[in-house]
Amino acid sequence: MTSTALNLNYLQAKKGIFSWIFSVDHKRIGLLYLYSLITFFLVGATLGVLMRLELLNPGKDLFEAQTYNQIFTMHGVIMIFLFIIPSIPAVFGNFFLPIMLGTDDVSFPRLNLLSWWIYIIGAIMALSTLLFGDGPADTGWTFYVPYSVKTGTNVTMSVLAAFVLGFSSILTGLNFIVTIHRLKTPGMTFLKMPLFAWALYATSWIQLLATPVIGITLLMIVAERVFGVGLFDPSIGGDPILYQHLFWIYSHPAVYIMALPAFGIISELLPTFSNRTIFGYKAIAFSSLAIAFVGYFVWGHHMFTSGMSGLARIIYSIMTFLVAIPTAIKVFNWVATLYKGSIDVQPPLLYGLGFIFQFMIGGLSGLVLGALATDIHLHDTYFVVGHFHYVMFGGTGFAFFGALHYWYPKIWGRMYNKLVANIAFFILFIGFNLLYFPMMIAGLMGMPRRYYDYLPEFHLPNMISTYGSWVLAIGLLLMLGNLIAGFRRKHEKIARNPWGTGITLEWQTLSPPPVANFDRMPVLPKDGPYDYDHKPEIKE
Amino acid sequence: MSHTKDNLPKEEQVHITSYKDHFSTLIALLLLTVITVVISVFGANLRSLSVFTALLIATVKVIVVAYYFMHLKYDKKVYTWLVLIVAILFVSFAVLTSIEYLNR
Ligand code: HEM
Ligand SMILES: [Cu+2]
Repeated sequence: MTSTALNLNYLQAKKGIFSWIFSVDHKRIGLLYLYSLITFFLVGATLGVLMRLELLNPGKDLFEAQTYNQIFTMHGVIMIFLFIIPSIPAVFGNFFLPIMLGTDDVSFPRLNLLSWWIYIIGAIMALSTLLFGDGPADTGWTFYVPYSVKTGTNVTMSVLAAFVLGFSSILTGLNFIVTIHRLKTPGMTFLKMPLFAWALYATSWIQLLATPVIGITLLMIVAERVFGVGLFDPSIGGDPILYQHLFWIYSHPAVYIMALPAFGIISELLPTFSNRTIFGYKAIAFSSLAIAFVGYFVWGHHMFTSGMSGLARIIYSIMTFLVAIPTAIKVFNWVATLYKGSIDVQPPLLYGLGFIFQFMIGGLSGLVLGALATDIHLHDTYFVVGHFHYVMFGGTGFAFFGALHYWYPKIWGRMYNKLVANIAFFILFIGFNLLYFPMMIAGLMGMPRRYYDYLPEFHLPNMISTYGSWVLAIGLLLMLGNLIAGFRRKHEKIARNPWGTGITLEWQTLSPPPVANFDRMPVLPKDGPYDYDHKPEIKE
Repeated sequence: MSHTKDNLPKEEQVHITSYKDHFSTLIALLLLTVITVVISVFGANLRSLSVFTALLIATVKVIVVAYYFMHLKYDKKVYTWLVLIVAILFVSFAVLTSIEYLNR
């Protein structure tokens, strides 16, 4: 290759739609995921805002009860399977894991492309229920039996879609595990890996080991619906609670598929914007593994009111509290990293701080639900809806946006307007908390979830929540608009290390990176990835 | 008897299992199968232990297959660990679910 061809960046290297959708370059595949994910996120968010509109006032306003049931199911399926589970690993993991490890691609580039295609096929299957069959499923995203076996809506297709999407997730996980084991640049050991790589490593193991369980479980629904096999129906020898076991054996660990990569992002943002080493590197790295491991044994906390045995409820409740320990270890280490750092409040850091605040509310409300006695009262109320939005959206969603602002100059070699980005963050932050905090209060008052209507006494929190959804929507549009406008802004060439204080290897290469990722050998800091005392000099 | 290709770097060394090892493994597996059949047909009256016994024998067979046919014995220890972790996870899923079911 000539030197000019070598320095062509990955965006310029080839042109045309086919050079993208059949690309095996991990950076382009990351962007394919990004654009598809954002699209589905916007569809899901629109459904969310529509639900809030129905709930602005008591009484039936916009939708029939049945339509509302289908909307929250579609909203849940899209947000979980098409947005939040792939989110950070598929986009930023794909783009940055190889670069942070100092290598030129993932271990199996073609498998990587296949994962994206499988994802798209699964997405088409999920959305096809809007057009074909007897309408989208109305079961909720959890597809609980016996209703999911009895309902006339198109549960079979939705469930098969989730099954197919699982394969995409498994293949990405497999690819990352092998990449991390085999492709680290010479000199980089496990304990010299950036924490984002550690987080992805723990996540990948969950994807690989837990996802097959949901795959087979969903096929069992199809077997029961189509062939009347008596797996879950007690009248023909099945057990409905068995479904809940199998479903949550996957879906609780899946919560960590959503959360761990976000922890990884925060662990990158904090050193960069405090200009100092991360506090407790090993504690953060190993607590990811601990969370991944303990997270396998707590699934029963979703089933406290299902009629399961009392002994099992106590075991699951205790196990659930154990997960709080490694999670708290992380939060303390993050806060300690900020302490006495020279903090530079840039837009990505705002999202990082927003994450910590909202994730704490989500996590602590999770303990309220993990405690057996309180969960009996709060199960299936709006408290739960508030709780999981705080974790998934206020936590992982905000970390995703933070990552987008953090790596934007690296990915596109452009810069957005920082003032607008800051304003958008505050609108989002206020909107988010207005939208979801009242939900928790409504839940404490006793308002059940998954209904298109409510008693008049719940009016006030619902009204505030709906106003919040409008503020949030404005914030989202402003944030995305600002990022898109950034593509066309005129400014000087973006430096290799535009924040000045980035220390992981992606900040040593060009922005945007060349096709082969590095134009010269990356240099590792002397004592571990966040050794700010021996930060390698980066010449342009 | 086992051979290693000494000219390759340590990481890439391949182990070739002898015919003797293969056949002994095969015979062990066949014997275990015979035992399973004998127990179930000529039924020592095991009652609720019959499932347990069948699973026990099956587990021994799995270990033999993984160890010799699938080469765990000759691979790096990390692979044994990985298989163990997966096995532990699976067993704990089954045990936790059964505890719940049996105490309902
Ligand atoms: C514009 C933003 C959003 C709004 C306005 C919104 C609103 C809502 C509302 C009102 C419900 C409750 C429906 C009910 O129980 O009656 C709901 C459920 C849900 N939301 Fe959101 N949401 C938004 C974003 C998200 C995001 C980003 C995620 C995931 C990352 C998410 C995941 C879910 C899930 C899993 C459910 C449960 C669906 C079910 O009950 O089966 N939402 N959302
Ligand atoms: Cu859970």
